[in-house]
Amino acid sequence: MSAVTSAPRRTDKPQRPDAPSGFGRKAGFVIVLVLAVLAWNAAGLQLDKLVRAPARILRLAELLFLWPQWDAFGIAMQGMLESVQMAWLGTLIAAVLSLPLSLLAARNVSGRFGSEATRQVLNGIRAFPELVLVILIVTVFGLGPVTGTIALGIHSIGTLGKLSSEAVESIDRGPLEAVDAVGGTWAQRMRWGVLPQAMPEIVAFWLYRFEINIRASAVLGVVGAGGIGAQLTETLRYKEFGRAGMAFVVVVVVTLMIDAISGRIRRRIISGAADDRDVDGEAKAQLEVDPIIAAEAGAVRDGEV
Amino acid sequence: MSATDAGTVAPQRPTKPRPSPMRYVAVGVVALLTWLAASDLTGIGLVSRLQRTFADGIPDRTAEIFDQILSPDWSILGATVDPFLETLAMAVLGTLLGCSLALLVAFGASAITAGGRKRLAGTRSIMSVIRSVPDVMWALVFVSAVGTGTISGLLALVLFNIGVVAKLLSETIDAVDTGPLEAADAAGAGIIARARTAVFPQVLPNYLAFSLYAFEINVRASAVLGLVGAGGIGQLLLFFRNRFDYDRVSLVVVEIFVFVFLTELLSITLRRRLTE
Repeated sequence: MSAVTSAPRRTDKPQRPDAPSGFGRKAGFVIVLVLAVLAWNAAGLQLDKLVRAPARILRLAELLFLWPQWDAFGIAMQGMLESVQMAWLGTLIAAVLSLPLSLLAARNVSGRFGSEATRQVLNGIRAFPELVLVILIVTVFGLGPVTGTIALGIHSIGTLGKLSSEAVESIDRGPLEAVDAVGGTWAQRMRWGVLPQAMPEIVAFWLYRFEINIRASAVLGVVGAGGIGAQLTETLRYKEFGRAGMAFVVVVVVTLMIDAISGRIRRRIISGAADDRDVDGEAKAQLEVDPIIAAEAGAVRDGEV
Repeated sequence: MSATDAGTVAPQRPTKPRPSPMRYVAVGVVALLTWLAASDLTGIGLVSRLQRTFADGIPDRTAEIFDQILSPDWSILGATVDPFLETLAMAVLGTLLGCSLALLVAFGASAITAGGRKRLAGTRSIMSVIRSVPDVMWALVFVSAVGTGTISGLLALVLFNIGVVAKLLSETIDAVDTGPLEAADAAGAGIIARARTAVFPQVLPNYLAFSLYAFEINVRASAVLGLVGAGGIGQLLLFFRNRFDYDRVSLVVVEIFVFVFLTELLSITLRRRLTE
């Protein structure tokens, strides 16, 4: 550096750096404001309805939860069980189908053209919401949980494929080179070079998707595709609020319970048994960070998902 | 083997690690759960339904519907513009409101900025309840409370976004660099000043990226919220489906696909530029 030969000019006071102009921030604010006004006009919201909304929502909450109908508990549990079964099978279908696609989409183990094409296919699959898929699939498999399961399975391929390909892209190249050095075929490269490294994270993504699919399957009944959604729609339509409230509570409680179990398994898969031990306060605080949510946040930030 | 004489000791291969017995247990549990979920007696009867469908072949009515689906009715293209604008407006407003609230909730849901164990635990439990209810279910409840229309859809999107963005953002806040935090603490900053000056600038790019992602999710969600009466293009989809106008259903589905796909591309491109 030239700093060695020519010393910086002495000034009597240390110079403060210029404050950033903040142009980007101001421009951002203006754009958001314009968007908000345009959207407000286009949405055609009725203000009087909006003002009355909080009181009405409180009233409905009272009707839903203050007089629970315990005789509806069994039916609600049955509906939720069907939803969970749909979520499980749908996730399994998506897991099996997305694994080969994720290998094709990963830039480090697939050709450039192949990975880009596969990525766009995965984006395309994701662009069909489950409920729209149901409307199409129902024409073949009829009303019922099988239609919902297939819709969940197809929609999940998109996200699972992309997240899994992220896991494949972050592997260490060493084992891949070792397989190449002994003349391994493509399948052997994947089996011995890629999967042992990527599989724990991929399985954790499957479990995470199962948690998401439970939420999705709970509403597929709205369009007649099985699960607890049909009960919710009908009880609300016929104003049987006690029964609707029971269904609502069952959805929340069962979802939270499965989240807790699945979250534990996910952490165990990613971090191993050592982290389960509560060594000291710090180790426990680290446990609270969810590695899969962190991975998802990273993928979202980098524009990968 | 017999060629090795006593003088040279062949290097010993390390013993192959035995797969943990947990692996067999896990495979067994997965197989059992799958069987329970798929069987006729305890589950949804997946296999028998598939067998029946393939044995019977595609019924005439389905073939007819498929013909209609494959020839979308382009003549109603103009009539779908307004509902689409409504859907887009709902997504924009939902994102703006939802993400603004999510920012506050996220600060309450991170151990670094919550300022107190009780507040942290409280925010986190409310957040998990919000997250455990799917967007369409929120819409169902709001339609029942407030009536059909875009307001119900908007409220559902706002709650749903708080769940998604606050979760992602609070995990990011947990991982910020602690240097600025120490500086703020040393200067005697309160909870709000600390969050605004030491944490917010660090997570701003992430927050913007998450908000764009939320917008993308909202576009997809608001397209279907109409199925439960919460306004937008979904309501039109439901209308055509109830009249078995599958050529029009197909047009709307194609439009939703293009609409969502383009939003995704835009959001992904912007997010990549944001973090470069």
